[in-house]
Amino acid sequence: MNAVEIKDFKKQYRTAKTPAVDGVNLTIKKGEFFGLLGPNGAGKSTTIHCLTGIALPTEGTMKVFGVDAVKDYREARRLVGLSPQEFNVDFFTPVRPLLRYVAGYYGIAPREARVRCDELLEQFGLTEHAEKPFRELSGGLKRRVMLARALVHNPELIILDEPTSGVDVELRHDLWRYMEELNKAGKTIILTSHYLEEVEKLAKRIAIINKGKVVAEGDRNEFIKDGDRLEAAYLRITKGQEF
Amino acid sequence: MHNERMGFNWVGVGSFLRREFDRTVRVAGQVFVSPWVSAFLYIFIFGSVLGQRIDLIAGVPYINFVFPGILAMNIIQGAFMSSSSVLYFQRFLRSIEEILVAPFSYVEMILSFALSAIVRTLIIAIGIMLIGLTFGAVYVSHPLVFFAATFIISAVFALLGMIVGLWAKGFEQLNMVPTFIIMPLSFLGGMFYSIDMLPPVLQLVSHFNPFFYFMDLIRYSMIDHHDTSLALSWSVAVGLLVILSVLVWRLFKGGWRIRE
Repeated sequence: MNAVEIKDFKKQYRTAKTPAVDGVNLTIKKGEFFGLLGPNGAGKSTTIHCLTGIALPTEGTMKVFGVDAVKDYREARRLVGLSPQEFNVDFFTPVRPLLRYVAGYYGIAPREARVRCDELLEQFGLTEHAEKPFRELSGGLKRRVMLARALVHNPELIILDEPTSGVDVELRHDLWRYMEELNKAGKTIILTSHYLEEVEKLAKRIAIINKGKVVAEGDRNEFIKDGDRLEAAYLRITKGQEF
Repeated sequence: MHNERMGFNWVGVGSFLRREFDRTVRVAGQVFVSPWVSAFLYIFIFGSVLGQRIDLIAGVPYINFVFPGILAMNIIQGAFMSSSSVLYFQRFLRSIEEILVAPFSYVEMILSFALSAIVRTLIIAIGIMLIGLTFGAVYVSHPLVFFAATFIISAVFALLGMIVGLWAKGFEQLNMVPTFIIMPLSFLGGMFYSIDMLPPVLQLVSHFNPFFYFMDLIRYSMIDHHDTSLALSWSVAVGLLVILSVLVWRLFKGGWRIRE
C-alpha cells in the first residue's frame, strides 16, 4: 500500500504570479523513509502544508494511505503527524498541557492522553521541563517538543519539516537515532532538510523539488552512485543538469 | 485511541475549551477583573449616584433600568473580544495550525471558538450580576428568556468576533470594531435610556441598530419592560445568529486568512 499518492498537484497562491507547485506527482510507499529536498521556495513546505491541511491545493489529488486528504480530510488527518519547520505553538503554554491539548484534538480521552504524553515526555527527555512554558525552552528542547507533539496520536505517516534545524550536534544524532527507530517500527517518514548529510544517512528514497516541480526522484543509491555525495548530485540537479 | 460519538469530535472540542479556559485563567485580571471594575463604576456612577436623582423609568428605579443595559454591553463586548482576540492571536502565532492539522470538522472548529467565548462571557456576566446584587440592581423577571437571550447574544458576538479575528491584519484593526462600532452602537441602542425618551426620528433610527434589540431583550427578561416587539427582537437575534453561523462556516471552509 502507498502511504502517500500525490497526482497532478498544483498550488497557486492568490498573491503570487507563478504557481508555488506545478504538477507534482509523487508516490511514497508504506514504511519508507523518504527525503524531500529542494532549495528555499522550491515547493517542499507548500506540498507538506497541502498534505496536512495547513493549505488547500489548487488542483490535483493527495491521498494518505488511500484516504483523500481534501475530501476525507478528517480521516486523513488522524494518519499524519507533522513536525513543522516553524514553532507554531502558543509560546506561553507549558509543555505538558501543550501535548495533552493536542492529544485531545485527536480525540484521545484525557486519561489515555495523560499516559501517552508522559511516555513522550520521558522518551524525548522533556519530563524535567514539562511544566515550563514553551518560550522558556532552548532551541533544541523546542524541537523535541515539536516532535513529541507530532507523535502524540501515534500517526502512521510522520512528516518532519527541518526537524534538526538549530539543534546542536549531540541532539541531532539523538534525533536521527529516534527517526530510525520510528521507521524500523513501521512508520512512514517524510523528511525535509537542508542538511544533506542527514538525508543521505536516513532516507532510502529521495525526491528533489525545484521551482515547483519534481526534477529528480529515485533510490538514495541512484543519487550517490560513483562515489558521489548527495550534496554534489543535489547541486548538479538544482542547477538544471539531468538526473 | 480516537473517541467520537455520533461522528463528532467531542473530546477535541472539550480539549480546545480546556485550553482556552486555562489560558484565560493565566490572564484573568485582564479578561475578568477589567470588565467587572468597569461595570462596577457604571453601576455606581450612573445607577447609584446619578440614578437617585432620576425619576422612575418604565416603572422601576433608574439603577434597575440601567443595569440590564450595562450587562448587555458587557456580554456583547466580552463575547466579541474573546473570540476575535483568540482567533487573531492563534493566526498571529500560527498556533491555529494545530487545529488545522487535527481531525476537526469546520463545525467543530467554529463551535470550539464560539463556545470558549461564550463560557468566558458567562463568567463575566455572573460577576456583573453579583456586583449588581450588592447594589440591589438585579431582578430577573423571565429567567428562561434571560438565559436564552444571554446565550444567543453571546453566540452572535462570538461569531462576529471570529470574522474580525480572521479579517484583522494587525492589532489596530482588531481594536477598531469595539471602539468604532460596538461601544457607540451599545450606547445608542438604549443602554442608558428608553427610546421613548428620544424624538420620533431618532426612535425610528434606533430600530435600524441591532444592538437596540439585544438591549431590549435583556431588559425585558430582567425588568419586564420592552420598547419594541419581542417577536421582532427575537427575530433579529436568531436571524443574525443563523446568518453569521453560515458566513463563518463559509469563511472557515474556504480557508479565508487561515489556510494559505
